[in-house]
Amino acid sequence: MFANEIVSSFPDITEVTFKSINKKYLKVILINILLFFSVVLIGLFLADYFSFFNKISSYTYLIYMVFTLVFIITCFITYVGFKKRKYAIREKDVSYKSGIFFKKITTVPFSRIQHIEVDEGPVSRFFKLASLSVFTAGDSSDDLEIKGITKIEALEIKEFITKKINE
Amino acid sequence: MSKTFDFSQFSHQSKKGILVIYGNLLYKFIKVTWIFLFIVFKDFSQFTDQKLIYIYLGLGFFLLFFLIRAYLIFINFKFKIADNHFILKQGILKKTDTSISFDRIQNINFKQNIIQQLINVHEVNIETAGSNKTEISIKAMSFLKAKALKNQLTSNKIIEEIVVDKSKEKPFLKISPLELLKISLTENHIQSLLVFLALLFGLFQQLQQVFKGFLKDNIVSDYVRESSSSFQQSLFLIIVCVILLVFTAILSSFVRVFLFHFNLRVYVKDNAFEIYQGLFTKKSFILKKEKIQNITISTNPIKKILGISFITFKQAVSGKVNQKKEKLIRIVGCKEAQVKKVKELLFNFADVDQLERKQVHVYLKIRMYLRVLLLLSIINCGFYFLFHNVEIYSTNLLLIPFFYFIINLIYKKRFYKISDKVLLVGNGSIETHLTYLPFFKVQNIKMTQTFFQERNKVVDLVFQTASGKIKLPCIEKQEAVKIYNYTLFKVESSKNLWM
Repeated sequence: MFANEIVSSFPDITEVTFKSINKKYLKVILINILLFFSVVLIGLFLADYFSFFNKISSYTYLIYMVFTLVFIITCFITYVGFKKRKYAIREKDVSYKSGIFFKKITTVPFSRIQHIEVDEGPVSRFFKLASLSVFTAGDSSDDLEIKGITKIEALEIKEFITKKINE
Repeated sequence: MSKTFDFSQFSHQSKKGILVIYGNLLYKFIKVTWIFLFIVFKDFSQFTDQKLIYIYLGLGFFLLFFLIRAYLIFINFKFKIADNHFILKQGILKKTDTSISFDRIQNINFKQNIIQQLINVHEVNIETAGSNKTEISIKAMSFLKAKALKNQLTSNKIIEEIVVDKSKEKPFLKISPLELLKISLTENHIQSLLVFLALLFGLFQQLQQVFKGFLKDNIVSDYVRESSSSFQQSLFLIIVCVILLVFTAILSSFVRVFLFHFNLRVYVKDNAFEIYQGLFTKKSFILKKEKIQNITISTNPIKKILGISFITFKQAVSGKVNQKKEKLIRIVGCKEAQVKKVKELLFNFADVDQLERKQVHVYLKIRMYLRVLLLLSIINCGFYFLFHNVEIYSTNLLLIPFFYFIINLIYKKRFYKISDKVLLVGNGSIETHLTYLPFFKVQNIKMTQTFFQERNKVVDLVFQTASGKIKLPCIEKQEAVKIYNYTLFKVESSKNLWM
């Protein structure tokens, strides 16, 4: 009977060399962050202009300071976290890992994949980038998604996996 | 008694089906408009004769309209079987053709509500693992025909159906009303209470919406507010309330258990469980062994003394929308021997029990302590701002031991065992749940680690199955990586289909 000691000869996920995602994707994220924060900033300005902050007018500068701080921290974390976004494709499964403070690694075996999607966002399309999502059965809201690889690569991976599934 | 049915040609459901569909339509109509009807008929005596005629005419029109509609639905509802596909045509104006291949069919269930019981027909539901739009419900079929259809759908060979009289066959498990009473008294009453309150709340909201529509703004919530403003903070009332709540809780779990599980019988047939239960709406499930994703065996302290536990079978759910309750099939009131038998029948779950239990890392306990500390300080801050008397802080004397007790229970019950085929995860606080998951049923696996966990070298493992997630929190990283690799190895080398 199986003695509950797992032999270490199984393919080890920690020994796999992961590949970083495309460097251009950092620009995509930064542009998206910039867009988001500019919308918020415009909102803040308008609120200030139409004097919604009357009651706390002496603290208005604080709001702007917090806003700037959040913006800088977000950019910094994104920059550092970006280097941690990596993926690996083995013969029988696909893995993705990310995160600095909250590390996460997901592996989906090809044999359990229900379908694969390749999406391009409006900004990503400009840089010829795409994201590849794989879905498995059940509550598949947070299955694996590799964002920020070139569209050509995404399609190649999709082709590769589809071929493997049908084998 | 044996009879063959020909399903290669299109056939209708039983003619009695018109009645069932008619009943259903009326029920839906009344469900939507009951408050409106109530308001109209409240002043029934004040209506003039002429008005009454209009009302009767309108009513008659609706009744006739629904009858015609029911007839049209019936006449346009046709099904047949052709090259291993179940084919269904339906729709009056918008025609729909559905075709389901046999191996996509997950379940075929029989159901009987009161109308169906009276006219002796069965409702046949065909469930698939795909999207829930492809679920098919045939409202009325004679028992023999339904049986024959089921047999043809579940086996590819066309065999002559010999109907076995169920009363003669010895069931694997049968629950008498007295045992059911015992079960219902030992249920998780807090859960039943919550379910009941949720139902009540839903009804309340519906009422409120309608009254808002009739410009009698907030009539219901005013009524409630009025009665709660006279609600003095007297101890007596609180005690009465608590007793009332306890009573409702027990009563609601009693009703719940009797409604769903009345006359529960379970039969074992080579590769499947057949389950029959229900008081007003009789249901029967066929549970195929290979469709079961994982099982959970649960018990609580009182049930343990009585030697009973319940088994929850989890099947694949479709899409992210519905964690459908119906897909969790529960067998209540299993005796130890029956639990053992079930384990033997499915994937040799019994092996894993004998192994040494592995406790999760003590970090889990520390994490819970820290979280509770945070919660307690928030509660105390709340006390500081909301109340002015000092006595309120004495509730801490109750809360602290309570949390201490619960955390230690949760930690003690969190363990896992690994055999070469099955993962066993234990969890629970007052209740105890043991979840058995065969490795090859895993869909994908995830390992997460927070900043704090990293310092303690522990990680959380999440096994995603077709019927939901199974979490294994705070285990040592080295061990976790081994389990991770092993799971992937098992999934990728397995030849078995996951459903």
